[in-house]
Amino acid sequence: MIQISGLTFDYPGHRALDNISLTVSAGSVTALVGPNGAGKTTLMRCIAGLETPLTGSIHVAGMDVIANPREVHRTMGYLSDFFGLYQDLSVAQCLEYAAASQGLPAADIAAAIATTARQLGLEARLQQASGSLSRGLRQRVAIGQAIIHKPKVLLLDEPASGLDPEARASLAGLFRQLQADGMTLLVSSHILAELDEYSTHMLSLREGHVLENRALSLAHPAVAQRHLLLQLAQADARLPEWLKEQGQVMLRHVTGDLAGFDFHGDLADQAALLQALLQAGFAVASFSEQKENLQQSYMQSIALHQAEEA
Amino acid sequence: MNNPEFRRNLWLAFSPHRLIAMPAILGLLFLAIVLSSSFQLAKDLHSAATTSFIFIVWLWGLRNANASIVDELRDNTWDQQRMSALQPWEMTWGKLFGATSFNWYGGVICLVVAAFTGFAYEEADTLMNLLTLVATAVLLHAASIALNLHGSRIESRIIRRGGMGWVALFVLFMFISSAHNIWSSYQINWWGMQVSNSLFLFCSSVLFAACAVFAAWRTMCSALQVRTLPWAWPLFAVILGAYLAGFFSNYDVNPAHSLFTSALFVAVSMTYVALITEPTGLVVWRRLKLRQKAEDWQGWLQQLPLWPSTLALSFLFALLASVSADELQLSRTASVIFGMAPLTLALMLLRDTCIFLFFTFSPNSKRAVGAALFYLVVINMLLPFLTRVANMESLSYFFLPVGADNPWQGVLVMASHTAIAFSLLRWRLRHEDGQSQSAG
Repeated sequence: MIQISGLTFDYPGHRALDNISLTVSAGSVTALVGPNGAGKTTLMRCIAGLETPLTGSIHVAGMDVIANPREVHRTMGYLSDFFGLYQDLSVAQCLEYAAASQGLPAADIAAAIATTARQLGLEARLQQASGSLSRGLRQRVAIGQAIIHKPKVLLLDEPASGLDPEARASLAGLFRQLQADGMTLLVSSHILAELDEYSTHMLSLREGHVLENRALSLAHPAVAQRHLLLQLAQADARLPEWLKEQGQVMLRHVTGDLAGFDFHGDLADQAALLQALLQAGFAVASFSEQKENLQQSYMQSIALHQAEEA
Repeated sequence: MNNPEFRRNLWLAFSPHRLIAMPAILGLLFLAIVLSSSFQLAKDLHSAATTSFIFIVWLWGLRNANASIVDELRDNTWDQQRMSALQPWEMTWGKLFGATSFNWYGGVICLVVAAFTGFAYEEADTLMNLLTLVATAVLLHAASIALNLHGSRIESRIIRRGGMGWVALFVLFMFISSAHNIWSSYQINWWGMQVSNSLFLFCSSVLFAACAVFAAWRTMCSALQVRTLPWAWPLFAVILGAYLAGFFSNYDVNPAHSLFTSALFVAVSMTYVALITEPTGLVVWRRLKLRQKAEDWQGWLQQLPLWPSTLALSFLFALLASVSADELQLSRTASVIFGMAPLTLALMLLRDTCIFLFFTFSPNSKRAVGAALFYLVVINMLLPFLTRVANMESLSYFFLPVGADNPWQGVLVMASHTAIAFSLLRWRLRHEDGQSQSAG
C-alpha cells in the first residue's frame, strides 16, 4: 500500500531521514516506533505529502505523493500529533467540512457523518461545539475528520497521547475495526504497550534509518525461535535439568512450577516436545507460545542493531 | 455554494444575532447623521457611509483576512487544510471572501447608502470611487493572505503571533501619502497621458487587487505543495517597474531610461525582500543540485527560490538603463548617476546576495538571517558613514562607490567587492558539500 524508496529529508543542519526504503502492506496496522528524533513524524509528514523530501519517491495506493499530493489526499487520512479543531463549530459541522473538503459528493455527506459518528460513539454529541468537548472526545472528532472519506491509508501520530485508559481501550477497538474494514494504518507512539494491542507489523526507526520492518507474528530472521511457557501442576525438581538436555531448548527461567524457554523448531517439533514431557512423567498443566511483545521486539531490534554496529 | 472553505467561514462569521446587529447598528449610525445634519445631508451621509466602509471592510476585513491564516496556524488546523483535496484556487477564494464575508455584508449596506447619496448630490465619479474602495479592500485582504502564507514558509512563529496583514496596510498608507498629488489634482500625467484622478485610482486599485489575488493563489499553491514555475515574481517586478516609471515620464528624461531605471530599483528591492523572506539555506541548494544532476530542469525551476529571477532582471535592467542613459546628453555628474550607477547598483545587489547566502549556507543557520542583515548594514551604511565623518573620502568611496569622478571606478570597486564575496560563498559551499558527503 505504501512504497518508499531512497527517501532522504534534511532540516537545516540535521538529516532527519537518510536514504530509507520500505513498504507497508495493505490491510496492516504498522507500529512506527523509535526514540525521540528518530524521524517518525517527519516520515509521516512526507507520506502525507505535507513535506517535500530532498530525494526519493513515495507511492501510496500506486499514486506518486510528491508529484500529486492533492490527489493522494483523497485516499489518505492523517491525524497530527498536535491536531486542532474548529472550536466554534459543532461536531456535525467539523465532520461535514472534513467530508466536503475531501471531495465527498454532497449527497453522500449526511450518510458519511452518521456512519462516522456511530463508529466513534459521537451520535449524541453532533450538535455540541467541538471546543466544549473533553480531550478524549476531541480526539475522536479529529479521528472522525481523518476517516470520514473512508481513506485507504490512515496515518496517526501519537493518537493516544493524553487519553485516559478507557479512551485508549476504545481507540484500540476502533483501530482493530478500521483494520477489519480493510484500512491500512500507520501508528506512531511512545507507549509500546498500547500499540501492542492492535499492531500487526513493526517499523523501527533510529537516527533516520530503518532498523527493522516486519510482521510481528514472524520472528526476526536472525532469531528463528519462539518463546514457550510451561506450567506444571506442581513444582518438579527434575524440570530444569531435563529441559537443558533438550537440543532445541534454551532455558530462560524456572520459578517453582513455571518455566520459560526459547524453542528452535516448528509446531511438529513443539508437539513432540510436549509428548516427551508427558512421557517423562511431568504433570503438564499448560504449554503455550508466548505472543511476541512489541516492547521486547523493539528492544531486541535495538540490541541487534547495536551488535551489528559493534 | 460548493466551496467547503467558503461555507465553513460563513458558519463561523454569521449568526442570527450578527445578521440583525450589523444593519441595525449601521441604521442607527445613518439615522444619527440624518438627525444631526442640518446642511448637505446627502454629502454627510455619503461621507459617513464611505468612512464606515473603510473601517468595516478595509480595516476590520483586513484583520479577518489576516486571521484566516494566523488562526489556522495557531490552532493547529492548518495541517488538516493542507491535507484536504481542495485545490489552491478554491482554498484562496474560500478564505478571501469567506473570512471577510461579514465585513462585506456590512460593506454592501455602506456602498448602497454611499451610491444613493453620491448620486443625490451629484458627486462626480461616484460609481468609480466606490469601485475603487471595493478593489482596494480586495487588494488589502488578498495581500494579507499572500504575505502570511509567504511568511509562514520561513518563520511561522511571527505569523502565529499576529500575522503580516499590517504590512499590506502600511504599504497602502505609504502609497496614499506619497501619491498626494494624485489625490489633490483632477488629472494625472502617467506615461504622457492625461488621465482623470478617479479613473487612474480605479485602474490602479483594480490592477493591484488582481496582482494581490494572483499572489494569494500562488502562495497558496506553494503551501499546498502544488508546484509552479517561477515566472510570476519577475513579471510583477516588470509590471510594478512600468507602473512607477509612468510617473517620471513627464520629467525631462528618456522614457525608456525612466522605465529601465524604475524597473531596476523595483527588481533590486524585490530581490532583497525575497532573500530575507524565503528559505535560502543549504537544503534549498542541495535540492537544486540534485535536480540539476538528474537533468530534471522542470523540477529545478519549480524548486528555484524567487530571488534569482529578480537578481537576473536587475542586471538586465541595469544594462538597459546604462545603455539608454547615453541618449540623455546630460552633464558629467548626471551621467555618473544615470550611466554607470545602474551597473554599480546591480553589482552591489550581487555582492549582498553572496554575503547573505554565505551566512544562510552555514550549518547553524538559526541566526543566519540576523547575522547577514547585521553585516550588510555595517558594510552598506556604518562603514561608509564612519569613513565620511572621519574625512577619509577615498576609503569611504571604497566602501560605497557613489559619486566618483570616473563612473567606471565605481563599477570596478563594486566588482572587486563582488569577487571577494563570491569567493567566500564558493568556499562555504565547498566546505559544506565536503562535510555533507563525508557525513553521508
